[in-house]
Amino acid sequence: MDLSRRGFLQAAALTAAASGLTVACGGGSGSAGGKNGKNLTLWYWGGALSDKVVAEAKTHFSGQVKLTAASIGGDFKQKLTTTLAAGASVPDITGIKGEDMASFLPNANRFLDLNDLGFKKIASQYLDWKTKLARTEDGRQIGFPIDIGPTALFYRADLFDKAGLPTDPDKVAARAGTWEEYFALGTELGKKVPGTYLVNNISSVFNIAVGQGSARFIDQDNHFIGDQDHIRTAWDTAIRPYTLGIDAKINDNTWNAAIGKSLSTELGAAWHALDIEQAAPKTKGKWRVCATPGGPANQGGSYLALPKQCRNPEEAFKIISWILSPENDARGFTDAAIFPAAPAAYAMPAMTGGDPFFGGQKVIEVFGPAAKAIPASYEAPADAAVMAPFMTELSSIEAKGKKPADAWKDAVAQARQIARRQGVN
Amino acid sequence: MLSHWRQYLAISPFFLVFGVFSFFPVFYSLYLAFQRWDGLGTVQFVGLQQFRFLWDDPVFWLSIRNTLVIWVLSTVPTLFGALVLATLLHSVRRFKGFYRIALYIPNVTSIVAVSIFFGAVFSNNFGLVNAILGTVGISPVPWLSNPWLIKLVIALLMTWMWTGYNMIIYLAGLQAIPTQIYEAARLDGAGPIRTFFQITMPILRPIILFTVIISTINGLQSFSEPQVLFGSNAANPNLGGPGQAGLTTLLYFYQSAFVNNDYGYGAAIVWAFFVLIMVLVVVNWRVVQRGRKS
Repeated sequence: MDLSRRGFLQAAALTAAASGLTVACGGGSGSAGGKNGKNLTLWYWGGALSDKVVAEAKTHFSGQVKLTAASIGGDFKQKLTTTLAAGASVPDITGIKGEDMASFLPNANRFLDLNDLGFKKIASQYLDWKTKLARTEDGRQIGFPIDIGPTALFYRADLFDKAGLPTDPDKVAARAGTWEEYFALGTELGKKVPGTYLVNNISSVFNIAVGQGSARFIDQDNHFIGDQDHIRTAWDTAIRPYTLGIDAKINDNTWNAAIGKSLSTELGAAWHALDIEQAAPKTKGKWRVCATPGGPANQGGSYLALPKQCRNPEEAFKIISWILSPENDARGFTDAAIFPAAPAAYAMPAMTGGDPFFGGQKVIEVFGPAAKAIPASYEAPADAAVMAPFMTELSSIEAKGKKPADAWKDAVAQARQIARRQGVN
Repeated sequence: MLSHWRQYLAISPFFLVFGVFSFFPVFYSLYLAFQRWDGLGTVQFVGLQQFRFLWDDPVFWLSIRNTLVIWVLSTVPTLFGALVLATLLHSVRRFKGFYRIALYIPNVTSIVAVSIFFGAVFSNNFGLVNAILGTVGISPVPWLSNPWLIKLVIALLMTWMWTGYNMIIYLAGLQAIPTQIYEAARLDGAGPIRTFFQITMPILRPIILFTVIISTINGLQSFSEPQVLFGSNAANPNLGGPGQAGLTTLLYFYQSAFVNNDYGYGAAIVWAFFVLIMVLVVVNWRVVQRGRKS
């Protein structure tokens, strides 16, 4: 088979042109454009921002720039990391999940310092502990807080009623003020309403118990402290429902099925309300919310950041501070159960209304005070990785009946090794 | 060689793409195995440190054990079932095309969809299998929390997916065997079982060897099944199921590199694993070849 010279040249020219075009397009959207570009891209994931507010932002700023918002699915952190590492097609504005923020901080130079753009002036509008988690030690502000995840105790008022327990949020909070009291309540509940459990698994208890403290697994001097008393206490707290037999031991994906049936309470952040609502729509009106036993903790809650390649930092900062202004933040709560990081929003009508899923309860009265009382703690870049073995060992106890003492030993050994691998000493 | 430059140029796109997207990453990962890198910051040379961590890492060895168990539990029934099905299909007279398609469909179904389906069917508390067992009075079986049953479910999933694929290959092999040999065997008084073991199996040996090696490579790369069955999220970052009983080596690699941002360690895991796969392929080769010499 012989190719004619003319045919070959044509084909080659077409291929070259096509690849040339692709390269040109690929480069154009990211690196080129200088510092006053007219086209800005925003990356976020489904549920990170109110879609309505984002749509309004597009029209609101249409005079100055053209904002293109892309909802990125899948593993967001990984996609952002690869794009930043490649340095091309980097979004001008990007979301960063709260749990990933710590791992981005060592590479703060990949992002713009929001303080330079005027965040310093409005920073006081946002919760300090949340803002601080996105700040480097030398004071560079990487993330603009979107939302937070203050935890609470969700409970089934109808089941509590059946067991002859109080159903009023204040009274339940008083009865379950500490972890021990909460577990005692669960034991009583289990006896009166057979077939129901207090917690879905003990890892979730551990997660919140750790978050209630002011220290985590690695301290600010980069030392591993996951074997110390504060973690041990959280661990022992987590083991209690298991030994008391009020642990549903759900470690597979059947939580959705269990939530409307065998679970009488649920520990989780404000955004968790939406999960419960979607998984168990039939239980509408039967749920209530009260303060977390042992005090509030934070779970999740995200940030917006401007990568260094941002083509128009000034406009981009205007856009994010508009999207995340207390007024628009409050709308995020109505639209997508995103709990604002700006306390001023908590008094706005969008948030003070009753929630029909919780029987008309004004849930802000629980989450609002919780949000302000969350302890500030240092989160090291390797923190999430070091925490994982503890969660795994707790699930081992539930699944295989592994002895808690052995599980603790293995978890610490494993966590210590991961810490060493990640350069913690 | 230079006189053929046009032909070389014509086939060059494949090699360019291969070089950029396959060849370079493979060797870059080898380079990374000797570094510490979080994906964005500076790359720091650490020598053999990652491999020393690997040697001392009980989770790595656990993941190797899990992978091997799942591999054996899935490959043996897959290849055996495929051979039986292929023989049956070979002798079928009507609806050949239908059977072929029906048996091959599992292989082209998305692994993610199948895993979600299996997760629902084998769920501990609300699964279909346990519901059916319940109707005949058997108490629920902890399919997705018992360390052995987890592996069994994953192996079953893989068997379901890959039996049809291997069957098609065997079927092609069977159709290449001249019918005269079977006629001669029948005239000599050989029954179907004897024909199968004395004629079909020996002639199919090279094809069986091929499927064994392909299945070794495929089976050891199990990743999506446990990843979907025991997906993680912010609130529950444990991977590989309760007690990490479903943690395969590739899942551990993914967890280390992309969840923990420890790319150097991830690279060390896959390179150590590559060596293991090579050893297993050679062992397989020897085992399947041995019968031939005698």
